[in-house]
Amino acid sequence: MEYEFTVNGVPETIAMERKGEKILVRRGDRTLEAEVRVISSNAFSLLVGGRSCLAIVARDKDKKYVWLSGRTCVIQSGKEDQRLTERGDDRALNGKSLVTAPMPGKVVKVNVAEGEAVRKNQTLAIVEAMKMENEIKSPLEGFVKKIHVSAGDLVDSEKPLLELEAKT
Amino acid sequence: MFKKILIANRGEIACRIIRACREMGIVSLAVYSEADRAALHVQLADEADCIGPPAAAESYLNMDRIIETARRSGAEAIHPGYGFLAENPEFARRCESAGIVFIGPNSRALELVGDKVRARQTMEKSGIPIIPGMKHVSSDLDEYAAEARKIGYPVMIKASAGGGGKGMRIINSEDDLRPGLEAGRREAKAAFGDKAVYLEKYIEDPRHVEFQVLADNYGHIVHLFERECSIQRRHQKIVEETPSQALTPELRRKMGETAKKVLEVAGYNNAGTVEFLLDRDKTFYFLEVNARLQVEHPVTELTTGVDLVHQQIRVAAGEKLSLKQEDLAQRGHAVECRIYAEDPGRNFLPSSGKILFLREPRGPGVRHDGGIYSGWEVPIYYDPILAKLIVWAETRDSACARMGAALDDYVILGISTSIPFLKEVIAHPEFRAGNTNTGFIKKHFENWREKEGPDEWLTLALAAAALEDLSPSQKPAQAAGTAEAVASPWQLLGRWRIGEKA
Repeated sequence: MEYEFTVNGVPETIAMERKGEKILVRRGDRTLEAEVRVISSNAFSLLVGGRSCLAIVARDKDKKYVWLSGRTCVIQSGKEDQRLTERGDDRALNGKSLVTAPMPGKVVKVNVAEGEAVRKNQTLAIVEAMKMENEIKSPLEGFVKKIHVSAGDLVDSEKPLLELEAKT
Repeated sequence: MFKKILIANRGEIACRIIRACREMGIVSLAVYSEADRAALHVQLADEADCIGPPAAAESYLNMDRIIETARRSGAEAIHPGYGFLAENPEFARRCESAGIVFIGPNSRALELVGDKVRARQTMEKSGIPIIPGMKHVSSDLDEYAAEARKIGYPVMIKASAGGGGKGMRIINSEDDLRPGLEAGRREAKAAFGDKAVYLEKYIEDPRHVEFQVLADNYGHIVHLFERECSIQRRHQKIVEETPSQALTPELRRKMGETAKKVLEVAGYNNAGTVEFLLDRDKTFYFLEVNARLQVEHPVTELTTGVDLVHQQIRVAAGEKLSLKQEDLAQRGHAVECRIYAEDPGRNFLPSSGKILFLREPRGPGVRHDGGIYSGWEVPIYYDPILAKLIVWAETRDSACARMGAALDDYVILGISTSIPFLKEVIAHPEFRAGNTNTGFIKKHFENWREKEGPDEWLTLALAAAALEDLSPSQKPAQAAGTAEAVASPWQLLGRWRIGEKA
């Protein structure tokens, strides 16, 4: 059975099959054999060629957080989300950029006005979260097209703060 | 001894103090904001009372409300923890006049050392070495520019009312001074309720070495040796250890005696920490007194065998200090890592969200001081510290190895934490060699990103994600009857067959 995931924006597919007491996991041209013991609904003990690995999985909507033998990664179910390619620098390349809050917090200050010209790395706004002020810097040189927030607003992660347009 | 103590704090430190109260047979009263109803400290305490809305200024910094809560519930003492009201002399004074014991220094000593600027003046007069810089604060921004020119760039902006990196900025040129002062004042105001800042000479890449001191109400003072806290990001400590690799027995004795003198000059009682900067040629400067229980106090507890919170409570209740300087010794080595809700791969940006799963590390010599649990939503309103991981071992090498293993064993899923970053700090050859200073993170970990795991690791992680898809908890129709009985993977995997197509 095939499973499709996305890790750090990269699509990953594995095929997993049962063989006697074991599972066979094929990814690309390599196949791994592991003996599985289900410890609980989200913890799996894997023996891979005698090497013992514990995997713990926690799910939040379409995201799975996987801890395996000391490392953690975020695995999204399904193929690469269209949103990812639309986000961030790619949009800057298209001449427009939506600047979003990097984490939930409170807008302390908006340093620019609509129509204002901005340099790359200029501070656009300050968002406070957990008592630390974080400067939101411009990803490009251009001007401020639209401002969506004002000082005092509470913002969610990835909520648009303002829109920029690159200098042409 | 007190019968009931109100703990005017939250998170791991509130939990730490509540445990001490329980051990001493004292009833603990937790206070919480509306954002913290489900927080761990509320669950652990014997009693709990809501003190207001989420914003700290309206809850954990609300002096009237906290004192009123203590009075109404019959708490005889208030332990402020660290941060919030811990170093606020007005709060200590109000407690004193309300007849409630403030578990910390008396308000006059607190006022002196809590006002970093006045402390600098006083200590200089008593012959204690201080960092060159301003010995006053001002409301006139132009005056700061003049002072900065006099001191010479780079200068450091510091909050007069507190530490912890809040309000602190390094300023390299006059252009950056005004925005730096504005941001520093806002942060200081938000963190301490006082916006005053001052400037001092920025000493490049010093070691940060501090001494733990305990004083009773009768003038008896002991020091419990040093902690080295040079590993910092955003001027905030993230790894602390004791003993320091930089001190010789002679330097340790000298700094310890200076630390005791600082408290004596300040007329100080209860627990305090005297912070020093140690420059490259091992000259030390008095930095400030942290007039509170420190975040990193556990490393001292593990190496000296003294429970600092118990001592604080005893001294506050008027007991004489039973510890004698000559009886105190350092045994073995202890290291602490602060576990923050932050993304070290994105310039330590705070991360909030739900902790979907938590497994704390265990084992000999491992201590975990936490304020979190599986299923808890980390609020955005407060400092992002989640927990502290502390290890003890006979030598520094084995303590570092033990810390590395404990971090490997530590599972927090659902939010980004500093754990992967801390692992690399602890494993770094320069850290292992003891070559630490406050520029360590910038020098060795600028623009750090977590390295990708081995290919096989990702394959297994993906397999685990696929296995979880098949788990009964994800199949509500089955879950009710069979979830408890799951023992064999084949009950889960049995619904597909060898060679079956998806």
